[in-house]
Amino acid sequence: MPVRRYDQPQSQGSALKYVGAEVTAVKSRKLVAGRGQYAGDIYLDGMLHVAFLRSPHAHARIRKIDTSEARAIPGVVHVLTAEEVNRDLGPLLYTIEPEGMGAKRAQLFALPPKKVRFVGEPVAVVAAHDKYTARKAADLIEVDYESLPAVVDCEAALEPGAELIEPEWSDNLLGSRDFRSGDPDRAFAEADGVVKGTVRTHRYLGTPIEPRAYVVNYDSFEGRLTFWASTQHPHQLRACLADTLGLPEASVRVIQADVGGAFGLKTPFYPDEALIAYLAYKLGRPIKWIEERAENFLAGGHAREERLHYEAAYRKDGSVTGLRVRIIADVGAQSTLQGCWMAYVTASCIPTVYKIPNCEIRLQVAVTNKCPWTAYRGFGKEAATFLMERLMDEVAAATGIDRAAVRLRNYIQPEDFPYHQVSGSILDSGNYPAAMTRLLKMLDYDRFESEREAARKQGRRIGIGIAHELMPEGCTLPSSLISGYDGCTIRVTPSGDIKVLTGVTSPGTGNETGIAQIVADTLGADLKRIFVVQGDTEICPFGLGNFSSRSILIGGAAAREAAVDIRAKMFKVASKMLEVMPADLDAEDGQIFVKDARSHAVSFADVTRAIYRESYGPHALDFEPGLEVTRYYRTPNVYHQPQLHPFGGFSAYPSWPYGLAGCVVEVDPETGAVKILRYCYVHDSGKIVNPLLAEGNLHGGFAQGIGGAMYENLAYDENGQLRTTTFYDYTIPTAVDLPHFEVEHQETLSPFNPLGCKGVGESGIGAPLSAICSAIENALPELKLQLRETPLTPNRVWGAIERARRAGNGKA
Amino acid sequence: MRVPIEVTVNGKAHRVEVDTRTVLADMIRDQLRLTGTHVGCGTGSCGACTVMLNGRTVKSCCILAPDVDGQEIMTIEGLADDPRHLHPIQEAFVVNHGLQCGYCTPGMVLSALQLLNENPHPAEAEIRRGIAGNLCRCTGYQFIVKSIEAAAAKMASKK
Ligand code: FES
Ligand code: FES
Repeated sequence: MPVRRYDQPQSQGSALKYVGAEVTAVKSRKLVAGRGQYAGDIYLDGMLHVAFLRSPHAHARIRKIDTSEARAIPGVVHVLTAEEVNRDLGPLLYTIEPEGMGAKRAQLFALPPKKVRFVGEPVAVVAAHDKYTARKAADLIEVDYESLPAVVDCEAALEPGAELIEPEWSDNLLGSRDFRSGDPDRAFAEADGVVKGTVRTHRYLGTPIEPRAYVVNYDSFEGRLTFWASTQHPHQLRACLADTLGLPEASVRVIQADVGGAFGLKTPFYPDEALIAYLAYKLGRPIKWIEERAENFLAGGHAREERLHYEAAYRKDGSVTGLRVRIIADVGAQSTLQGCWMAYVTASCIPTVYKIPNCEIRLQVAVTNKCPWTAYRGFGKEAATFLMERLMDEVAAATGIDRAAVRLRNYIQPEDFPYHQVSGSILDSGNYPAAMTRLLKMLDYDRFESEREAARKQGRRIGIGIAHELMPEGCTLPSSLISGYDGCTIRVTPSGDIKVLTGVTSPGTGNETGIAQIVADTLGADLKRIFVVQGDTEICPFGLGNFSSRSILIGGAAAREAAVDIRAKMFKVASKMLEVMPADLDAEDGQIFVKDARSHAVSFADVTRAIYRESYGPHALDFEPGLEVTRYYRTPNVYHQPQLHPFGGFSAYPSWPYGLAGCVVEVDPETGAVKILRYCYVHDSGKIVNPLLAEGNLHGGFAQGIGGAMYENLAYDENGQLRTTTFYDYTIPTAVDLPHFEVEHQETLSPFNPLGCKGVGESGIGAPLSAICSAIENALPELKLQLRETPLTPNRVWGAIERARRAGNGKA
Repeated sequence: MRVPIEVTVNGKAHRVEVDTRTVLADMIRDQLRLTGTHVGCGTGSCGACTVMLNGRTVKSCCILAPDVDGQEIMTIEGLADDPRHLHPIQEAFVVNHGLQCGYCTPGMVLSALQLLNENPHPAEAEIRRGIAGNLCRCTGYQFIVKSIEAAAAKMASKK
């Protein structure tokens, strides 16, 4: 079956007027005035507050829980432990079934019946009249733990005889995957040289400023559960809650409140979500829970922490001919969150934007006694980018060829797309050399060498670094509710206003504005008459919410399909009214007119009047009444069935945006302090629907990327205790820590999306890791630094400088 | 233990009974139901809970409610009551996309207000320092800085 392509610009829809324009976000006016309604802003009569008791141990058996003191406190309504909750609730539902990805499953319960597996895992829950009482009572619960050895190193976790974290497994390996292409052995045998080493990403997280927050109400007479949540996934959360609580799925309503940032962290299924729903159900009282910041650090879901052992074979001309990579990912304890799949994405993105014919990639995913991974912006792609960019710099250093030239030599070329990578991934489109040329121009790259020397004469050490990130979007996994389709309903009112109900949601980035722009242009409507509704399972069509930058990519495409149908029907009625053929019509600003006689026109309101008030009249009688359409869009170029894949593989991502970062830093060799002086980025996400919002989103990606590269770190000690549980020791960047960003867009349209979009949401977060390493190395060329680990704190940079000096580097 | 206190909030006098453990942010939110004041950390590090106490910004998660007895508070709701008539700083945030999720925004706007009260023509570095006590995870700050620059220009031209 040939895959649908959209190369030819669509004839359906009016000329683009709003798409591509800097329209301000529709919700801003309300939010800037403090009138948003986040989940924590919801108050219900008789509402109880909840506090969690969380494990202080990384790994321990629970012998006994004594709740008598907690229960005795006035104001405490209920103290919930595993014994009770696991009598009533089944195991937690996975939104991505592990078997679909060939991984192991652990049966996980809302509260662990026998043992805790990470510091912060919930052990008991208290519901009380106010949150202070709930907290106090939770702290008075006595738990008798038998401490077990904590497994905190992912390679040690995989060694034979390691302490088992999941007792029903025979080892701590969650899953593995191997990819192979060409003849790596031969490539290495014939190479001019080989570089090898280990690249490590460290553990960090998205930590939105609004923590997780929920309000739940159960109406026992109606048998309906309503769950207001700061979530990205109303429909998946509904499925999880219904399944785990044993309620009919259609009796559960999830309403997404305004979301104060998510970045992947607000994807189900947290045991906390099951527990508060259960309490509301059990007690027949509304329940509210707002996560504390420390809980977000301990149990709100982590990310990153991968080790990538590599060796690469290269030729004297800088071309990389062979690559062997062994990845070990530390995903923390097994959970029903989606995070562990980030490791698979790392493996399936290698070798990113480069054409390396002979590859061998091995992935091992280890569970440890740390907080489970949850989805986080970047979703494993950042590690693939970090590896490949460090490797390109190393080949440049080894061959004496310029860093940009090495990349240009190895790039997949524009005519190679769709390009088939070793993992089976099919890259849709791109023009990497053009983007690189553009970046070098932005940076005035050729002049930098002289600038560097001039600065050096003044005693300042500055350096330049570049990195090319690849950020596939539209993630689509088998046996899951993480897929490449979504729905949209468009409902035109009798007065001609347009209601757009989408299955995608906004985590606070403003995609509802972009969707309104798409619908306005497809219909030829006035943007002000479009009202987008998202995030309510009772009102919106079934859809998969927000992840993997899919809201415009897939949600926008679904909205466009629905708008095309609405337009067709309106044109049919209008053609009767104007006595021309529908094909002779066009629309703009809510007017439908004859193409070469613009004044011969009817308004949308004229047409909706004919449809709704004159259903038996001359213009509408031939057509079905009403003006409402639901359409589903499924991205075409995803392959889960090998026999349909052009090369017999598996490809989970339809869209492959990318970006090139270039930065200039100043390094103080005596302290290791690094300051970013310039940060440039050339970005290609295909068609940009709203450049203002897209750029804002990119800035956020840079900030998180730089934060991860330089400042943020989830530090565990050897006993599995997390040392960083406040914003004082987990330091996300402030306004003074970040440079002014310079951004240019290149638009290589995706042939597999009706608008040519590729997804913007994660771009920017991957490149800083290597770009900053590269710039630091370049600032001190005599030391021949090889930075392979993050975060680039002064301490780490200074240590690398000292080691290089002690090794005699830089001596004349 | 509960104690009665009197506070003026956004120009309106209130008499409320508060639990002595209650922090100002919770009193403003849970008792006065002014939910534009957000809580992001509870430890004084994120600035989402910023309000004006007697005309100066404070982090309301780190002040006990009984301690503001007899004093004057302004929250984000006190800055604009009508979507058509936002404060120039707010208007500039809307136009320049100085916010995304909006969770940090009320605190950010009030910090900007304090900055511009003290320094009507701040340089970029001064703006960045002025909002360094307010964390934003969405915007990377650049459009916030731009918004504050635009607001400063607008406010200066009106004087
Ligand atoms: S909530 Fe007060 S500073 Fe973060
Ligand atoms: S806009 Fe989301 S935290 Fe600032």
